[in-house]
Amino acid sequence: MAKLINLKIDGKDVQVAEGTNLIDAAETVGIHIPNLCYMKGMKGIGACRLCLVEAEGGKAPIIACNTKAKEGMNIATNTEKVREIRKFVIDLILSMHPLDCMTCTKAGVCNLQQYAYDFEIKESNFTRKKFGYPTDEANPFIKRDPEYCVLCSRCIRICKAQGTNVLEFSGRGVGAKVVTANDAPLQDSTCTFCGNCVDVCPVNALLESDRWRKGREWDYEKVDSVCLSCGNGCSVTVSRKDGEVVKINSGAPEGAAERFLCAVGRFGFDSMKGDMRLTVPMKRVNGELQETSWEDAIATVAEKLRAAGSETAFISSGNILNEDAAMLKKLADDVVKTKNIDSTVSLYSGYDAMNSATADLENADLFVLVGIAPDQWKRVLPALDGIVRKRMNEGGAKLLVLNSGEPKIASVATAFLKGDEIKMLEQLGQAVISKGVKAPKEMIEALAHVNPSDDAMNAADVFIASNAPVILASPTLYKAAADLSLIKGDAVAVPLEANAKGVVLMGMTSEGKKFSEIVSSGAKLVYAVGEMPLKDRPDTGFLVVQNSHMTDLATQADLILPAATALETDGTIVDYLGRLKQVNKVCEPAGESRQNTEIFMAVADAMGTALKKVKDTDIRKAVKTKTKASFASFKKDKGLDIDAEQFTEDMRKSTINCSRLLWLREVERGVTV
Amino acid sequence: MSGTPKKEEAPKKDMKDVFAAAEKVKCPVQKSQIFVEEFLSEPMCGKCHPCALGTYEALVRLKRISAGLGKKADVAAIQRIADDMLEGSRCIKGKDTAKFLLEALKTDAFREHLERHCEDRECTALILYRVIPEKCVLCGLCKDACKYYAVQGEKKVSYRSGYLPFEIRQKRCVKCGDCMDACPYGAIEVIEEKSGVLV
Repeated sequence: MAKLINLKIDGKDVQVAEGTNLIDAAETVGIHIPNLCYMKGMKGIGACRLCLVEAEGGKAPIIACNTKAKEGMNIATNTEKVREIRKFVIDLILSMHPLDCMTCTKAGVCNLQQYAYDFEIKESNFTRKKFGYPTDEANPFIKRDPEYCVLCSRCIRICKAQGTNVLEFSGRGVGAKVVTANDAPLQDSTCTFCGNCVDVCPVNALLESDRWRKGREWDYEKVDSVCLSCGNGCSVTVSRKDGEVVKINSGAPEGAAERFLCAVGRFGFDSMKGDMRLTVPMKRVNGELQETSWEDAIATVAEKLRAAGSETAFISSGNILNEDAAMLKKLADDVVKTKNIDSTVSLYSGYDAMNSATADLENADLFVLVGIAPDQWKRVLPALDGIVRKRMNEGGAKLLVLNSGEPKIASVATAFLKGDEIKMLEQLGQAVISKGVKAPKEMIEALAHVNPSDDAMNAADVFIASNAPVILASPTLYKAAADLSLIKGDAVAVPLEANAKGVVLMGMTSEGKKFSEIVSSGAKLVYAVGEMPLKDRPDTGFLVVQNSHMTDLATQADLILPAATALETDGTIVDYLGRLKQVNKVCEPAGESRQNTEIFMAVADAMGTALKKVKDTDIRKAVKTKTKASFASFKKDKGLDIDAEQFTEDMRKSTINCSRLLWLREVERGVTV
Repeated sequence: MSGTPKKEEAPKKDMKDVFAAAEKVKCPVQKSQIFVEEFLSEPMCGKCHPCALGTYEALVRLKRISAGLGKKADVAAIQRIADDMLEGSRCIKGKDTAKFLLEALKTDAFREHLERHCEDRECTALILYRVIPEKCVLCGLCKDACKYYAVQGEKKVSYRSGYLPFEIRQKRCVKCGDCMDACPYGAIEVIEEKSGVLV
């Protein structure tokens, strides 16, 4: 625990942890120190000078964003002097800012507007300036209008911190402009369209492209939910107007490294209304899919399930909700009475790896990536890539990468051990032990034969020097990687789907056939729930597809049940750090589509067994079962190697194909080919 | 590794050069304008708002004043910019600029310029060049020196009479001072614009 510091701000006693800056310290007692360029969780740069405060005994005003609280300080945040300087800066900025608050989309959340109001500036006292820079609106995601820019450089700094490094100032002073390399439009730069710059822009210079006349902040209802597009399961805050999603922002707390969203999470929501959205049940009649009623569809499924009985196989993706998974399990166990129930998780992970404990990324000072390759550009676990880079750039964390390939993130690693992950883990473990660090006896014995390389010795120094390492491993390598955590730190298996851990914890662990067998072994009936990484119809007599979109698989189905998307359902997931996250319904399911749970209950009903709703307490109980890491031999789980990029791509195919992300993919392919 | 544009080369001019450039003139308004212009041209780093935005605004106001279009509000704005920059800007460069402006503001020059009066006769908008007819010997040296063909008159040829003294056409005159340097008889003077007559 950090030391606590006592100081006085505007006469109020404040107690904060050592190292807290004055803006954050004041915030704890409800005093807002104005600022335009400060970003919580990142270093202050003192550009806007709005946060100037006066310290008792100090000569000149000091900037609050970059001054750490010291014992016994007495700070005045609102003196005549600093008020005048603040007013002066806002006055100057207003002289070069369009005064069109009446039609500005950012009205209501614009910091400049707020400060102009606070400092009673109706109109700038200075000469009106206009630079006539063109707007970059050549992409369907982010609109950049330099006319509104207040030169706070927040966008530049967030982009650098997360490692995308697309934006930079061109020029100095008033005429400065935020540009990409060669001032190219965003799509011709290395931009990933994650939109995190939009989140931090205090004014209307960066905005979601489709926001014009779609309401302003006060028109929106905010709903917290989770993005289920990949293994990161990022928290999101959805803005809703008239029952429709208008925009999605990161839902992680301000200042957290986890405050990150990628393009899929932020802009993929149009897919809910896309062309391929399934809104009515469909049934194959005379070889063609035809629309049908729910009653008919459910009755058909029930009848087919009854006939298939124990030779039924249920497969689901790893991004259905806990409630859905638990209900599906009940349906399989209690109603259909089959043991063949499995999820896509078994394609890339053993079940026990999914019980891994949690870890604290926000305070980690070392990340060890074992066999995983988070990559914002390929959008494989993009948030993890962003978080690690942010913690490195802003928090001084270190990074060890153990990988047999050449992942992009290795280029920023403190040390990169290239080679077979198990061998590298052994070498690293032995190197750490050889430097005299305590380790379990079994481990010392198991590694006695290993002769660590120089690289491993260097990496060991980094590991030993860290206080709170977090080991993030591919599920197949989790057991071996967790051995390192017996020396120090926490280990976590990082799956490729948002609720992989939850699905396994809810009992979707097959005692019969596993996913890959189900697909190929001729089950009488295959009931597939959610997006599937399958192009071809599984070998089966009857195929039921329950999904939100018309996928390749769905076109080959005998029966299609339209399911609601994540933003149309209530429930929970367990993310890669083992945290239970609440998914909240933002809008009503499109057309006649229904929540997965409802469909399962209707099917069970039709088969004569009423299933009760899954209780929250049951889910909480299931989530609590965490296995403690104990020593396991350094081995990799066999037969679970999949291409993470391809798999991730397959799992979000509908989202991409039915939204403006398709444009992005085409542009990116066009650039890279 | 990154695709961002290259950082500009390190500034070549520093504050010393800025001070030196301002020393070349006497009029406090001119001095301030040159100082700020030179400061903006390179040493200004643009890392904090009071300086980056303030000096630019100050230059706009200074130009207005030296052009004889200044109002009281312009002087007040410069005063405010200088005061706030002194307290608010981040580094010594901004504070030096503020101090320089404050020093200049202490003189009467700014107030006088509002009345279109430049004591040092350096603000070109406020002055006129004139040939003193009594002193002019019609030698034509000024006419040869003027790059802008602003000097009018006929060179005297011996034993002829009926000449008029040389005159400067104000519409063409750019107030460069070349004619003054060329005249060996001191027959060209600078007068205040408001007392002059346009030719």
